[in-house]
Amino acid sequence: MPFFGEVFVSEILRKPVLDPKGEELGRVRDVIVIKGDPFPKVSALVIEKKKRTFCLPWTDLNIFNKRIISSKIYGDKLQPNEFGEKDLLIVRDIFDKQIVDANGAKVVRVNDVKLEGFQTEAILIAVDVGMRGIMRRLGVERGGEDMMRLFKKHLPYNLISWNYMQPLEPKLTKISLTVPRQMVSELHPADIADIISQVSHKEGASFFKDLDVETAAEALSELQPDVQTAIIAGMDLQKAADIIEEMPPDEAADVLSDLPMDKAKEILEHIEKEDAEDIQELLSHEEDTAGGLMTNEFIAYPPETSVREAIEKFRKDADEVETVYYIYILDTEEKLIGVVSLRELLLAEHDTLLSDIMHTKLKVVTPETDEVEVADIISKYNLVALPVADAEGFLLGIVSVDDVLDRILPPAAKRRRRKV
Amino acid sequence: MGPGIITANIDNDASGITTYSVAGARFGYALLWTLIPTTIALVVIQEMIGRMGVITGKGLSDLIRENYGVKTTFFMMLCLLVANFGNTVANFAGWAASMEILGWSKYIMVPVGAVSIWLLVTKGSYRVVEIVLLYACIIFVGYIISGIMAKPDWNTIARRTLYPQMQWNSEYIMMSIAIIGTTITPWMQFYLQSSIAEKGITKEEYKASRLDVIIGCSITDVISFFIIVTCATLLFPYGIRINEASEAALALKPLAGDYASFIFALCLANASLLGAIIVPLATAYYICEAMGWEAGVNKTFREAPQFMWIYTLTIALASMQVLIPGAPLVFLMVLSAVVNGVLLPFVLVFAILLINNKKLMGEYTNSRVYNSIAWGTVASVICLTIAWVIKSVF
Repeated sequence: MPFFGEVFVSEILRKPVLDPKGEELGRVRDVIVIKGDPFPKVSALVIEKKKRTFCLPWTDLNIFNKRIISSKIYGDKLQPNEFGEKDLLIVRDIFDKQIVDANGAKVVRVNDVKLEGFQTEAILIAVDVGMRGIMRRLGVERGGEDMMRLFKKHLPYNLISWNYMQPLEPKLTKISLTVPRQMVSELHPADIADIISQVSHKEGASFFKDLDVETAAEALSELQPDVQTAIIAGMDLQKAADIIEEMPPDEAADVLSDLPMDKAKEILEHIEKEDAEDIQELLSHEEDTAGGLMTNEFIAYPPETSVREAIEKFRKDADEVETVYYIYILDTEEKLIGVVSLRELLLAEHDTLLSDIMHTKLKVVTPETDEVEVADIISKYNLVALPVADAEGFLLGIVSVDDVLDRILPPAAKRRRRKV
Repeated sequence: MGPGIITANIDNDASGITTYSVAGARFGYALLWTLIPTTIALVVIQEMIGRMGVITGKGLSDLIRENYGVKTTFFMMLCLLVANFGNTVANFAGWAASMEILGWSKYIMVPVGAVSIWLLVTKGSYRVVEIVLLYACIIFVGYIISGIMAKPDWNTIARRTLYPQMQWNSEYIMMSIAIIGTTITPWMQFYLQSSIAEKGITKEEYKASRLDVIIGCSITDVISFFIIVTCATLLFPYGIRINEASEAALALKPLAGDYASFIFALCLANASLLGAIIVPLATAYYICEAMGWEAGVNKTFREAPQFMWIYTLTIALASMQVLIPGAPLVFLMVLSAVVNGVLLPFVLVFAILLINNKKLMGEYTNSRVYNSIAWGTVASVICLTIAWVIKSVF
């Protein structure tokens, strides 16, 4: 049955459905949708008459627009409704639920759903998340429009196309498209963390499950500790270990330190030995000190290395290390004696030795140094990273400026969502 | 402090203190018996709400929206807005009254208070202030001490507390509604469920948070009990009806002597400020979240227009209401409690329907006992409201 034009689901709810003779079959109660290409399509209407519900397949409809809905079959041929939990109903499962706007990277609520005619089907083309949708549901869209016209203003439409929308309900993922899922995984992890922090813990966890390991690792470190714990607790051990392994050791240490002891131990056991050792070393320090902030991944070469050799080595090492802007110079006993910035390295003559260009008057802190003091030093000397060494001068790790910034000015996703 | 205890402290806001004081002053011990059923109802309802927060992980306004649609949510939010406007008016009235006891004109202190609160919340960090005010609630212990020092007749009190006797006049009925309304406020249910949902309390941790809720309810009602007792013992025999807030201060005389007024004013000011900071803010959040609007205190008027406007207008209009010359401050505070009581059944009905929804709650739906207590509360309040209207008109 050709369906021209477009209609909002709220406009057809409770509208009477007529049979070929004009008698009322019932009123529209809901709409069943199924997976379609390119968009989900309507498979049947749910009609209610005298407290009983019936299912009217799309193919049995004759006319379908916002004024008249009529069917080709008579009342006696109507099938009683047998939809269950597995089916997807627009009013029951999509209306008023929260979804992710993959384009805008935020969480919004569905106020209405727009259907459009495509060939002979009615497809679910967009959701209405704006004020206009609310007014339409309340039946005051017209009134609102007229009022706005008085002020010579427009009531804007706020629609999100279905292909930019990523649902949060696990049921709806059947009909969600791959495009938004890809878009979501391409969002910056900080935006993903933002989205997760805005929804309930359960929904956040299910959203997280769909992410790949790298994105998940980055997003996890941007979340608030209790959300992190909730998500890790809900994942199976190996997956949790994989994600934590993927994170830089200082972030991993942060996540593990917020988990209950036994859970953290279990996960550590599933992490590759080398990485687990790095993480454990960091866990031994207090949270708000240089030791708690630092990462033990850094680039360090002996002083006799030539610039040419250093650049070669750098090419291989820099892949794994997070902060590469400084190359630290360690003597034969592995004590910190100097630092070269990446810029200086690249600008130097290939035959010079690192010992010739390195700075020896380094700013260093001990692991017990308070985080505020660390921030002061980084800020005063305009550093990108500050090395942390023990009393004998062994380089234990570095504190990077973004980690310090996170402690002093935590980003929104890390703060408690509401301060009431 | 757990959400249960915090909620309990906020329960004794300006409207609460005044309602209990007036109840004691005007009816002596006659209203004491209402505290027991009210407390039982409070514990049951708060536990229900807490359970819903733990199991669903969502706030009450989210649940109502997702299960009952926009129309119902809109109507519910309207109720909440009205009730909380009343609360904010009461809190500013309390602020004004306490300032007047201390000798400062309300025409200066109310605008100062309103503007400071607005600035503090939107621009500053009010969490610190909130925590200070919460701890300052320890002042309420003064009522317990004062009550004991006044040496009332404990036998009479015991009898009046345990044996219900209804007086069928309009003021008595109104005060019963007010007591219920200020003890079990609608917005508190939203607040408690959101706080618990946000903390991500799991089913395993639930036992601890349940204890927190129960302790909170008990504390708040012990304090309410003593406020009524002190006023009943010290004011009722002398016919002091508390038409002015300063009269309520006399209840603290045994404890504080000449400092009674000062201490009472501090108590009232503390409670009012706490309420004025939290209630309008919470209301704006719940409404915006339910309707799907942007919300956040550090957003500008452009980024989150509905949120900022709801919050700002609530504070502005409420404070203006209080500034009207001759505004009956005590009456306003009690009235807000009555409004809360009248609107309570609407919120409760949805909470009960939701908590019995197996799809949402799984095996954690209400037991028969809980359901009967909850429905009983709804029925009683509705009956009381109808009785009050009838008695007032005829």
